[in-house]
Amino acid sequence: MLSLQVLVNGLLLGGVYGIMALGMSLIWGVMRIVNVAHGALIMLGAYHAFFTFTLLGWDPFLSLPVTIGVFFVLGYAIQRFLLNRIVRAQLFLTLLITFGLGVVIENLARIAWSSDLRQVTPAYQGAHFELYGINIPHVRLGVFLSAAVLSLLFLLLIERTKLGRAIRATSQELRAAQLSGVPVGHIYAVTFGLGTALAGAAGALWGMLFPITPTMGGPLTLKSFAVDVLGGLGTMMGPLVGGLVLGVIESFTATYVGPTYPNLLSFGLLVLILVFRPAGILGPRGLSG
Amino acid sequence: MKRSLWLVAGAAVLAVVIFYFGARAVGGRAETVIALGAAISQSGKYAREGKFYVDAYKMTVEAVNAAGGVKVGGQAHKLGLTLYDDQSDPSLAARLCTKLLTSDKVNFLLGPYTSGITIAASAVAEKYEVPMIEGGGAAGNIFDHGYKYIFGTLSNAELYFQPAIEMAAKSEPPVKTAALLFSNEAFDKSVAKGARKWLDEHKIERIYDEEYQPATLDFTSVLAVIKSKNPDLILLAGHEENSLNFIRQSQAADVNPKMAVFTVGPPTGDFRKTLGAAAEYVYGITTWLPEMDHKDEIFESSSNFAKQFHDRFAYEPDYHVASGAADVLAFKHAIEKADTLDPKKVRDALASLDVQTIYGRLRFNPTGQIELPQTLVQIQSGKVVPIYAGGKPLNKPRYPTPSWGAR
Repeated sequence: MLSLQVLVNGLLLGGVYGIMALGMSLIWGVMRIVNVAHGALIMLGAYHAFFTFTLLGWDPFLSLPVTIGVFFVLGYAIQRFLLNRIVRAQLFLTLLITFGLGVVIENLARIAWSSDLRQVTPAYQGAHFELYGINIPHVRLGVFLSAAVLSLLFLLLIERTKLGRAIRATSQELRAAQLSGVPVGHIYAVTFGLGTALAGAAGALWGMLFPITPTMGGPLTLKSFAVDVLGGLGTMMGPLVGGLVLGVIESFTATYVGPTYPNLLSFGLLVLILVFRPAGILGPRGLSG
Repeated sequence: MKRSLWLVAGAAVLAVVIFYFGARAVGGRAETVIALGAAISQSGKYAREGKFYVDAYKMTVEAVNAAGGVKVGGQAHKLGLTLYDDQSDPSLAARLCTKLLTSDKVNFLLGPYTSGITIAASAVAEKYEVPMIEGGGAAGNIFDHGYKYIFGTLSNAELYFQPAIEMAAKSEPPVKTAALLFSNEAFDKSVAKGARKWLDEHKIERIYDEEYQPATLDFTSVLAVIKSKNPDLILLAGHEENSLNFIRQSQAADVNPKMAVFTVGPPTGDFRKTLGAAAEYVYGITTWLPEMDHKDEIFESSSNFAKQFHDRFAYEPDYHVASGAADVLAFKHAIEKADTLDPKKVRDALASLDVQTIYGRLRFNPTGQIELPQTLVQIQSGKVVPIYAGGKPLNKPRYPTPSWGAR
């Protein structure tokens, strides 16, 4: 019974890991940028949800479409006015500039909102129900379902629409896409916008579960990266699988090995995956793919 | 060309930002100024609690100066204060303390926050033989090196859970089983060590005893195990964010002990505001409350100190803040007692100090740590109510804690 509860806990948390990592994976897949500012954008998403909740009374679940819209515009602008100047530069340079961007966002957030902990506290925050003896909190289920629906919509966008086809073409073969008339600059900005929108949504969901602080982003960047490597960086289904796997591993480790070990085991696994299956669980075998 | 220009400009902006937030010094130094210095977390994971000390140091230095400063050799000296941000990093804290002593040439050191950082910083004070009074580290291993220049105004960590366990053992229905959860930091390990001793003494069975990483956010799996063991008492030693997450998640997981006690969080106003109704019935521990009847000539009374602090910083001070204020007051009294700025003589004056302040009686034991009684408090109708201290009940606890569904 306990292990079933632990499994459910892991899956419910894994959903938000998945959507967090999806945005990062998309940006890497198309633009070859490891977005180190991803966690800082997630943090902004959490504050956005907090302030629309406390000042305007918007439920963070219901206001997700607004969050996504706002963060799409933000991401589009960041790419157009900042990253566009270095895209396709050396990996190290893009790493540095997104790192700097992350630090700047974090410090601005600290000045604007102080280091105080914030918490989104809807009336149903403690609500839960039992299913065959398994405790399921409303908020966690809501977060999981929102993450699942958003991921599904996102996959449909990538797989089934003309825009998605252009994004995939840019990712697979830049020159050919250009020659076929794909407006690559626009596609890059749209891609970064989508990645940022996913980060914003992930932040709004994360803020439903945990306290919000200006420094929350750093560990989340690492976590997103670990999830992506686990599932397959650059793939679209990979992060979702990686998120669920990581959630379950953390949950079982905390229960049966001890609460100090989840990070050791999950990042240890990351190292093993990089050594033995560098493209991740869902990626093609070897690095050639 | 254009690209490299952009990079240079970006790097310059970054450098300015890091410089500006990395080291922000306040206060200056003139002829008759006694310079106090501290490296304290203003960013990173301890920024939140670090702010309590920054605010406490600033306000107390100003209050001492307004009340005539510190008298040495018949002449009044003002206190100066130089603060650096250690970014929650022990090795940076040690480097900054070295800088304070060697290049800023401060006279004395105030402490950082958390035991781990204090251990690193105290080694510097000892090396340069300059007294450091710290109000943010209470782990036993700060004081068991035989250092002569470190003085602490937080009570011994091992005593933290004593009043809680004593009260639990005397309660009706009795507490028979306990779950102990603590972060793997020096301070919390000391708290856990003490808790085991008190639990054994009162014949309360430990059915869960685990450490966790302080960065832990998700306690749902831990809670699932605790729920399956159904302990009467839960003791959590960790940081405020840990307490908040644990309580919120135990509500959703429907974990219902008769009593749950947390080392950090409950006495702060912010904790209650953040948790709302879920904060009710929660127990905490404190050495200091504004209602306590402590008096001194700088702030008059504990409650007056609390009022001044709230007026200025717009939040309620807790025992961290009072402890930080006590550090500055201890220097004032010790320097006046020694009647010199000689670090060795001030050190000796500190070792034999015995004065009354708004924080309580300042008197250090031979290892340099203060011994103040801990008070068990409970949140009742949004207020912090003292429940038990010094072997005596103070107010009636709302015990046992009703289940989440029955509130």
